[in-house]
Amino acid sequence: MRGWLKRWRVWLVAGLLPFVCGTATAQGFAVREAKTRLAEGIFLLDARVDYRFSHKALEALYSGVPLTVRLDIEVQRKRRWWLDADVATLEQRYQLHYHALSDQFLLKNLNSGAIYAFHTLSGAVEVLGTIDDFPLLDARLIEPDEQYEVELRAGLDIESLPSPLRPLAYITPAWRLRSDWYTWSLTR
Amino acid sequence: MVLDALKRLTSGPKPVALLFALLLTSLYLMSGATQNSTTFGQLYSLVLVINIVALVLLVTLILRNLITLVLQYRRHTAGSRLTVRLVVMFVLLSTAPVSVVYYFAVQFLHRGIDSWFDVRVERALEDALELGRTALDGRLRDLTRQTRLLSEEFLGVPDTSVTLLVNDVRLRSDASELTLLTLSGRVIASSSSDPTDIIPTLPNNSILLQLQQGLDYTALEPLGNDMHVRVAVLIDATSPMGKPRVLQALYPMVERTSRLAESVQGAFAQYKELAYLRQPLKYSFTLTLSLVLLLSLLTAVWAAFFSARRLVAPISDLAEGTRAVAAGDYDTRLPLPGKDELGFLVRSFNEMTRKLARARDEAKRNREQVEGQRAYLEAVLGRLSSGVLTLDNNGVLRTANGAAGQVLNIELNRELGKTVTEVIAAGRPTLAQFFELLLPHLQEAVREWRAEIVLFGPGGRQVLMCRGSSLPNVGDIEGGHVIVFDDITALIQAQRDAAWGEVARRLAHEIKNPLTPIQLSAERLRRKYLQRMPPDDAEVLDRATHTIVQQVETMKEMVKAFSDYARPPNLQLRSLDLNSLIREVAELYRGDRQVRIRSSLGREMPPIEADAGRLRQVLHNLFKNALEAGEQTGRVTVRIATRCATEDSCRYVELTIEDTGPGFPDAMIGQLFEPYVTTKPRGSGLGLAIVKKIVEEHGGMLWAENIEGGGARITVRLPVRGGGKAFGEEVVPCQSQA
Repeated sequence: MRGWLKRWRVWLVAGLLPFVCGTATAQGFAVREAKTRLAEGIFLLDARVDYRFSHKALEALYSGVPLTVRLDIEVQRKRRWWLDADVATLEQRYQLHYHALSDQFLLKNLNSGAIYAFHTLSGAVEVLGTIDDFPLLDARLIEPDEQYEVELRAGLDIESLPSPLRPLAYITPAWRLRSDWYTWSLTR
Repeated sequence: MVLDALKRLTSGPKPVALLFALLLTSLYLMSGATQNSTTFGQLYSLVLVINIVALVLLVTLILRNLITLVLQYRRHTAGSRLTVRLVVMFVLLSTAPVSVVYYFAVQFLHRGIDSWFDVRVERALEDALELGRTALDGRLRDLTRQTRLLSEEFLGVPDTSVTLLVNDVRLRSDASELTLLTLSGRVIASSSSDPTDIIPTLPNNSILLQLQQGLDYTALEPLGNDMHVRVAVLIDATSPMGKPRVLQALYPMVERTSRLAESVQGAFAQYKELAYLRQPLKYSFTLTLSLVLLLSLLTAVWAAFFSARRLVAPISDLAEGTRAVAAGDYDTRLPLPGKDELGFLVRSFNEMTRKLARARDEAKRNREQVEGQRAYLEAVLGRLSSGVLTLDNNGVLRTANGAAGQVLNIELNRELGKTVTEVIAAGRPTLAQFFELLLPHLQEAVREWRAEIVLFGPGGRQVLMCRGSSLPNVGDIEGGHVIVFDDITALIQAQRDAAWGEVARRLAHEIKNPLTPIQLSAERLRRKYLQRMPPDDAEVLDRATHTIVQQVETMKEMVKAFSDYARPPNLQLRSLDLNSLIREVAELYRGDRQVRIRSSLGREMPPIEADAGRLRQVLHNLFKNALEAGEQTGRVTVRIATRCATEDSCRYVELTIEDTGPGFPDAMIGQLFEPYVTTKPRGSGLGLAIVKKIVEEHGGMLWAENIEGGGARITVRLPVRGGGKAFGEEVVPCQSQA
């Protein structure tokens, strides 16, 4: 019963979002802020990502379909006359899952296997969107005279959806949730 | 080169069969993936894309075939119509049943998927979930109360000495992990039943936030493989130790409860997910089914093209071959398509063309042989001096050799293919005369005949000796008549001249020679005895000798006249005007009161080549003949007329002389021009014979006839030298009609 109430709430929020935030930001992911800092010879990443799931995605989530969010991080060395060279490419995957019996949202880091439970979706989404002290790169891999750039992108992994959903997801804008690349320079 | 290799690789049955097999495999994978199988789930999108690309390739292949076929159809290429018919038939045969199956399969599929879901099952599952929650809620409340009791043991205990206490308390409780934290989440002390678990499971920010608001946290958390209950309670902040702290306890669920809860959760989640995926599942299955349908259809269509082309290829070859044979190319050999009926047909065709080619070669050889023989025969006929004509049974002129045209002085090739009657009706005088004279012989049912005919052609009078023979039918060649003829004019003339010359020589020898001694003897008798005889006897002698001398003279003259008649012609031909000659001769007879001469001479008469003296004799004889006819009736009128006439290729002058006498007796009219035929009491009987001789010497001809109402007419035709035309030449008609 509480699940139904929660779903109703989510639908209400999802329905009202366009009017509150404007149609352009109604759904979709966006990297709000991202930066790197050097601590003990390791570049650490701090980032804030807004995850605004579409109505269809939320409906699937409440129906027990796990949603996988993929974070692509790339470190590139800038080259003047040629394509940039990849220094490091990282992929972080998180799975958001609704547990009906406990009426909780479970967030699982698929890379580490750590699971977190949340009473509310917003709590889960907030934790999902908060990246602190993520070890990105060993500072020794960075040449002092070169310029480096970090790119970050968040997106819903359609390939992790149940296969019957995938063809539809590929052709439906509500399923194609992916932020633009957020780019910044890697500085010591 | 590369394109050709690519074409070889992509055409034919093998690549398509391979493509079909690959498609079938990928469809099997996709079908597995659609059912959410973990085996193929990862490959689903890839397989889908591969399928779609393969189908596009198949469609391209079919389109290429279709365009080629349409172009061939428009160009009316052999076999294209049959291919179209076969393709349409194959496509219809394959499409209809597959479409029906597809329709019912989709219906069945949708109904099948719908049948998985039942409101009662859903209700029961939700109830089971609710039941589970209710059951767990009681347990959660117990654990909360228990934790709160445990927390009271930490009241007043400083942070520095809680470590042992935490462990002690955990050991006394059911908790698997017990942690004492600050409100900001810093761990003060922790104890776990698992000695390897060094790092405690920390509460997240939202839990801490809830605690900061003074609310305890209790929740069932499915962390890891087992279910845990996490309870976090606030240790009273109003304690003398100052800062509020949090005690978090993790209680493992009883295994049976945990398993039951997982079972309920698992079944519910699976059912909900399935219910949610109902529509996408339908779409996916329909998509898979549609791809299978499309694959089957497109493969069937391609197979239709392929087999139609395979079937039609030998038929097209046969059609092309037949066309080639119809065009006369018997060397066409078709490739054998196999050992089936079509192969038999093609083998028979090849055998037929081989036989045809052999027959053609043989026919050619025979024709060449026949042509050779014919050419030989024509050469022989062409070298013959005799004219040769052949007619078929219907009287159609079939062949004529060169000599025939030369003898008749006419282009005979133009007349080939015409019947004798047509030739006569066409009115070409020489030829018409020739056939008119021959017609009675042709119509006779005799095998061989011989006839001498006289023509008057451009070269004047012609005597032809004709021999005819009927031809037998030989095989398909119809018989008819062959006519061989020679111009014997000169021969006859020469024979006659020789005969008459011989007669004249004999007459001179046998008669003229004794006449002189008779005459001399009579004159001697007269001279010797006339003076000495008594007057009475002298008178008798005088009369007798005078008679003898006179008769001898007459006989001498007669012999001389005959010699003249029989003398070979020695014509002094020169160009002369016939009208002038006539006027000159006629003038001599105008003095006679008994005669009235009326002349009607043609104007612009062409000059003729003739001997003036001989022709003058002709005129004299004709005038004399007319005058002598008048003597029987008293006064006589002689009409003399000339004209220039042209008939066909023959140009001549015609002279007619008419009198108003009694005419020729009918019995004699056929022999008028023979020597010593006369109706007159006087005369030598050679007048008209000499006329005929001279006219014939000049290449002319003449005839006599009686005029209706009394009188006789003699017509003389003399050729105008150079007036006869050669083959194909036009004749300028003279306008000299009086």
